[in-house]
Amino acid sequence: MNVNLLYPDREWRTEKTYYGWDWIVKDLGLRALFEMAEKGSRGSGRRKIGSAGDPDLSQIMNKVMHVPLTTEEEVLYRQEILQECFVYEGLVQSLFDLASDVLSEWNSLGRKGKSNAGNPDSKAGIMTDINIFSLFVSAMADLKALLSDNAPRLNSKGFKSLCEQVESEFDDETQKVMEGIVKDLDFYVNGSVEMIRKNEFVSNISVISVDCGIADGLKFTEPKLDSIETKRHFFRSHNGVISKINAFVAAVSPNSLTTYGDQELSEDAEAFVKEAVGYVMSVCSSRMYEYGRFFEQLYTQVGFYLGAINIRKWMKNHWITYCFPIVGKKDSLAYEGLKEIVMCEEQGKDPVGNTGNMDGKMLAIITGANQGGKSTFLRSIGIAQVMMQSGLCVPAESYTSGLYPNLFTHFTRREDSQMNSGRLDEELRRMRLIIDHLGENSLILLNESFASTTEKEGSSIMYDIVKAVGESGVRVFAVTHLLSFAQKVYEEMKDKPDSDIAFMSAERLDNGTRTFKILPHKPELTSFGLELYDEIITG
Amino acid sequence: MFSILYPKDIPSGVINTPDDSKEVESFYTDLNIDRIIGKISECWSKDISGLYYSFPENIEVTEYRKNIFSDIKKGSLLSLLDYFVSDMEKFELFSQRKDEVENEDSKDIWHVRAAAKYAQTVMKLRDVLEDFKPGSEGIGNLKKFLEDYCVSEEFVNLSSDAEKLLKELSGFRLHISYSDNRFTVTEGEGKGKYEDLLSECFPGHDKFMKNPYLDSPEPSMLEYEAVRIFKKNHREFFDRVESFVKNYKNFAREEIILLKEQLPYYQAFLKFTDKMKQKGYFFCTPEKSDDEIIADDLYDLALVLAIEEGGKKEKIVPNDVKLAKGESFFVLTGPNQGGKTTFARSLGQLVFFSGMGLDVPALNAKAPYYKKLLTHFEVEESSNTGRGKLTEELTRLRPIMQTKEKEAFVVINELFTTAANYDANIMGKRVLDRLCGLGCHGIYVTHLGELAKANERVVSLRAEVGENEERTFRVFRGDAEDIAYANHQVQKYGLTYNQIRESMGEISK
Repeated sequence: MNVNLLYPDREWRTEKTYYGWDWIVKDLGLRALFEMAEKGSRGSGRRKIGSAGDPDLSQIMNKVMHVPLTTEEEVLYRQEILQECFVYEGLVQSLFDLASDVLSEWNSLGRKGKSNAGNPDSKAGIMTDINIFSLFVSAMADLKALLSDNAPRLNSKGFKSLCEQVESEFDDETQKVMEGIVKDLDFYVNGSVEMIRKNEFVSNISVISVDCGIADGLKFTEPKLDSIETKRHFFRSHNGVISKINAFVAAVSPNSLTTYGDQELSEDAEAFVKEAVGYVMSVCSSRMYEYGRFFEQLYTQVGFYLGAINIRKWMKNHWITYCFPIVGKKDSLAYEGLKEIVMCEEQGKDPVGNTGNMDGKMLAIITGANQGGKSTFLRSIGIAQVMMQSGLCVPAESYTSGLYPNLFTHFTRREDSQMNSGRLDEELRRMRLIIDHLGENSLILLNESFASTTEKEGSSIMYDIVKAVGESGVRVFAVTHLLSFAQKVYEEMKDKPDSDIAFMSAERLDNGTRTFKILPHKPELTSFGLELYDEIITG
Repeated sequence: MFSILYPKDIPSGVINTPDDSKEVESFYTDLNIDRIIGKISECWSKDISGLYYSFPENIEVTEYRKNIFSDIKKGSLLSLLDYFVSDMEKFELFSQRKDEVENEDSKDIWHVRAAAKYAQTVMKLRDVLEDFKPGSEGIGNLKKFLEDYCVSEEFVNLSSDAEKLLKELSGFRLHISYSDNRFTVTEGEGKGKYEDLLSECFPGHDKFMKNPYLDSPEPSMLEYEAVRIFKKNHREFFDRVESFVKNYKNFAREEIILLKEQLPYYQAFLKFTDKMKQKGYFFCTPEKSDDEIIADDLYDLALVLAIEEGGKKEKIVPNDVKLAKGESFFVLTGPNQGGKTTFARSLGQLVFFSGMGLDVPALNAKAPYYKKLLTHFEVEESSNTGRGKLTEELTRLRPIMQTKEKEAFVVINELFTTAANYDANIMGKRVLDRLCGLGCHGIYVTHLGELAKANERVVSLRAEVGENEERTFRVFRGDAEDIAYANHQVQKYGLTYNQIRESMGEISK
């Protein structure tokens, strides 16, 4: 039984993740995005999100976005579900609450690591298993009821399949059997004696029978469980006359043994009952594990959509236009009004939207003045790409791009780039790691790479690397101040009209004002430093 | 009585064990053969290392084992023999159970079980060997023994009586019900209704109810009482069990027990080499030669095991060896940490395993059978003063210098490092002259280059070293070649244009 809300054909797993995800999160500032998913939820504040030990929404977003989608079909699958989630927010919240309640109840009963089976060798372990099993069975019944109420109005493939799966895997017949087992084993968890009237008692007792053979050394072998059930047992006085008569009757019957007054036989009886109950639970344990895993998946998968709803709410509240992105050909990239929302969140200002078309361009070199919006632009593409590749809507009026499950960031912040051979060594090491992990559909975002050495040496390293990976079919977007590098590439391509290389820079109006827009432009050959010097010192 | 480790007319050598009571020959530790034996023994269900702590001093023994080993390697004999040993272990376990339990009925049933297991095991071994054409004297004798034994009256009766009793026992069923502190025991029908219900609801589940009283081999009170009630209706069966036990007190033959103890000598070794082969290492059956040693890609097996255990990705460097007719001793020189000791150990291991009649860690190998393996390694004891250490070394060297055994292989590692060079040269030359004069073979690892010219039967070897003191761990006759090597930060990370293009060849455009 699968939730299948994240993939049409499988459950969520941490596999085929982005390589160097920690770098990507740091370089693109994705932490702020994850927070948006969580914050929105506190706002709606119906309940405390996340049971003890289970990830909150921001952690779920991080986890799920860590694994890129690789096909258009997968992206469309999530987009369709997400659209429906926008309409039925209440249902998403209810599903999440249900999963969350189950997990926290499970925690309080004793959830052991990832696997949930209690220790089958101890009475306490078996009792825990019975209680957990009983929890899951009733939660499945609740889930079935919730889904069947909503089923008629749900249209997305994902929700439809969830409804169908729960309906067929936990059909009425199965439900009856599972509830029956819970009832048969009830004596083991609820066995205490109750007094109903003076000198009149009732308790749950077991009735168990086993058929077995005799093996080596007169040991029992191949025991088969013939019956097990819980009976309500009424008696007048606890340990009173009736019990004594029972014991007497047992003693005189040639085929019976009473455990009264026999320590060893009493212990054997306890082991006998424990084995019978433990056996039934061991048979149920795979189903129990399946239910547990199912609720864990439900929690993560629905949590992702709830987070997505919150991110969308955030964008709405901040008047940021969003859209469902379109998966295009591998070398496509077209965007209208693309915004960098992390900066917007962190600095509280409305960022400039960029519009452009880089279809067919496999290498983009972005140069130009400091503080001109180059890095922001590069990040906005990275963020949108990661959002798109997890099925989210993106902060743009429109966005079309290929899918790059092999996305890498190699960012050097100018403020901490110094002439320092240790830093260069670190940069080279990271670049080596990236190159080792390149594959089909790779996109590398380079931000001020190799600024930690001389311009000349940096340019030469950069040129070699960009040329070599480019020839291997890797798409590269590079923000750089290495002008010798930019110029050399420009000289080589300027006479080729159908070159797949784009040069861009920050727009500067004739009067010198910066618009923070990034537009196609041949590389600035003047030194940005001088300009900045002029602005700050002279101007 | 025959053994598969020693031919008939040769008395079984004493099997040494590496415990404190007996001094183990020094080569076991010097050549790290003790570690290899430890790993071989790990391939077996219990410690059998004692089997390997006896180096045959008679070449007939080597030949005898080598032939048996080659039989065992043939086709499927190995896996079939595995059953024999594990079945015999079960038989032993059953016998042990019999001694452990106190309840008389329980003892008797265990005795019947043990007898049946023993008989089955012996017959199975006979059947396994039936179609096998032994190429060795050892397996041939075993086959003959089994054929005679299995048709003897004693054996046939034992087998059929035990089987019959067990068959009856397995047909009995009890039905035990429990409620409200009372057990009721009746005849069972072999049915489990709740179990059937569960199977229906959970198709494919693989759980079974177990006997809750397996902790002790002794019957539990419930088992005891249940069988007591049950026995009332089956008196005659239990009487027959009792008389079986009286008739067959000691039924197991000594030959069979010994075989079970000794077979793992071959089986464990073969399992070990199979495991190593799966990891890409190779072994070969050494050919016997008169007076020369030739080996291709010989390597130090103990080093490989240490690398594997450490999980490192180091590669071992195998070496070729050739000691021609008329040549007697290798003198190996070269830089520290350059693989000299490793090379010497690998040669010693070649001699050891071929002497044991087993396979050796090389691609091809040819060597004489030696009657003795003698080693002398430096003992690292810092507390010894220079003079004390020399004394200690010479004391240990004495038996080697006094040996009159010309069919000996000698491994000497760094003698006299604490003596003055002048003295050390003279002493080293004497050692070499003496051993070469006797006609022994061996290897002498030293930092004294002059010893390579000690006499005309000495062959000089050098561990190779490249530029920048880089070690290649290759051992050659003659000088090592130079290897050019350059270094640069970008190159170091493989980030030049050419390096990247090369490493990314597989990504399609």
